Amino acid sequence: MMTNRSILNVLLSGGAVLALMACTVSAHAAEPATSSASIVKVAIGDDETGMEEVSGVRKAPTAVAKAAMAFVDGVGKRGIGILSADASSEAQRKQSFKSLLNDSFDLTTIGRFALGRYWRVATPQQRGEYQRLFEKMIIDVYSDRFSSYSGQTLKTDSAKMVSETDALVTTFIVPKDGGEKVQVDWRVRNAGGRYKVVDVVVEGVSMSVTQRSDFASVIQRGGGDISVLIDHLKQPRKG
Amino acid sequence: MKIDNNKLLLGLLCTALTVLTACASTSATAQSVDDNISDPFEGYNRAVFAFNDAIDQNILLPITKGYRAVVPEPARTGVHNVLTNLKSPITIGNQLLQGDLEGAGDATVRMVVNTLIGVGGIFDVAAMEGIKNEPEDFGQTLAVWGVGHGPYFVPPILPPASLRDHVGNLADMYADPVRLWLMNTDREGWYYTRTGVGIIDTRDQLMDALADLKRSSIDYYATIRSAYYQKRAAMVRDENADDTGGADIPNYAAGEQ
Repeated sequence: MMTNRSILNVLLSGGAVLALMACTVSAHAAEPATSSASIVKVAIGDDETGMEEVSGVRKAPTAVAKAAMAFVDGVGKRGIGILSADASSEAQRKQSFKSLLNDSFDLTTIGRFALGRYWRVATPQQRGEYQRLFEKMIIDVYSDRFSSYSGQTLKTDSAKMVSETDALVTTFIVPKDGGEKVQVDWRVRNAGGRYKVVDVVVEGVSMSVTQRSDFASVIQRGGGDISVLIDHLKQPRKG
Repeated sequence: MKIDNNKLLLGLLCTALTVLTACASTSATAQSVDDNISDPFEGYNRAVFAFNDAIDQNILLPITKGYRAVVPEPARTGVHNVLTNLKSPITIGNQLLQGDLEGAGDATVRMVVNTLIGVGGIFDVAAMEGIKNEPEDFGQTLAVWGVGHGPYFVPPILPPASLRDHVGNLADMYADPVRLWLMNTDREGWYYTRTGVGIIDTRDQLMDALADLKRSSIDYYATIRSAYYQKRAAMVRDENADDTGGADIPNYAAGEQ
């Protein structure tokens, strides 16, 4: 049972913890407020061809990470440009988005990843039909997603290499009227100097992984039959 | 009445901890991505999820939309900031349990600065100064200690979580100094008000994300489950910012499978 005395005890020990904290804090406050100094941050304007060590694990060619960052910045600007063109109709917007997504997203890779292990058991005909329907779905979903736009800005923050070919570009969506900013990480693949997005990670949630989970569940519950998923994809999207 | 509440909570917590330690050892590494989700009660979970979703869409969502319509954005941000600030003791305690002194220091600075300069936490002054809120809970602490998720479980009315994180939530609720203080000074009304407003605020924060997932998914249950595990993994990972977010997407063009 909690008496006033034990509450007092809790408060007192809390006070001791706070005093301990104060020491940590004063030591901490002396440094500049960069809490994530362990990531290799690449700012535009850095040394051109420098190689940096990421925790001794992997060499990060900053030139590629930097180019990936500029690429994401460009995609964001183009996207916001489409959204802020007030003259355009709904259909025109969708058309512009379609070409933006086709230009800057590797839809073939994303689609194949989303099908997971079922890709291998799919017939060539199923693969073709699935890819076609998947690309259509992605374009619908993303143009929906972007159409709720209300003046946010996309701020590119940093980039790091996560594989030989892939950079993870960290950006923040900053709301116009205050409120919390949303972290969006773009996994960008460098294929011989051409950059394409292969995943979008919103606050730690990967769109590709979520999509794969959704599809896998649909196929499993349909008795392992890929055509069940294909039938679902053929249906019109939920309003 | 308040003693009963405390005893009930403590009892629940002990039972849950026992169950958890019993089954945690089997899945200590189930931390990374999706294939590691354990959902042995899927049939039951799906039924309760559908029930909860109906309540959400018909009761909670309309209330939250009303809240959005009546309360302007700056005030809602203020409410959210105050609620976040009230959770500071839980975050600080868990940072300490995780051995993260720097995180505990940051959280303490946030609490002091936001309470004193941010007018009782209404303004997140610390975030403007670059000290971001990094919520920590006992579920994350257990994860850092090496406890696996255990099974996924959807309780009626409450949000879904893994067994580990349900236990974490109970522990945080039990040990919350703000709750203990309110309960022991006959301010139970304040406690329930805070809880109620907290539910609406959380729903408000999640409004766009959940609507988007619901609209863009075929199987909403599987989608939420996947998003939940990824989000928790990301929250546990923030300790170690070198870890990559998201999955490794194979380079199919280069022959990877």
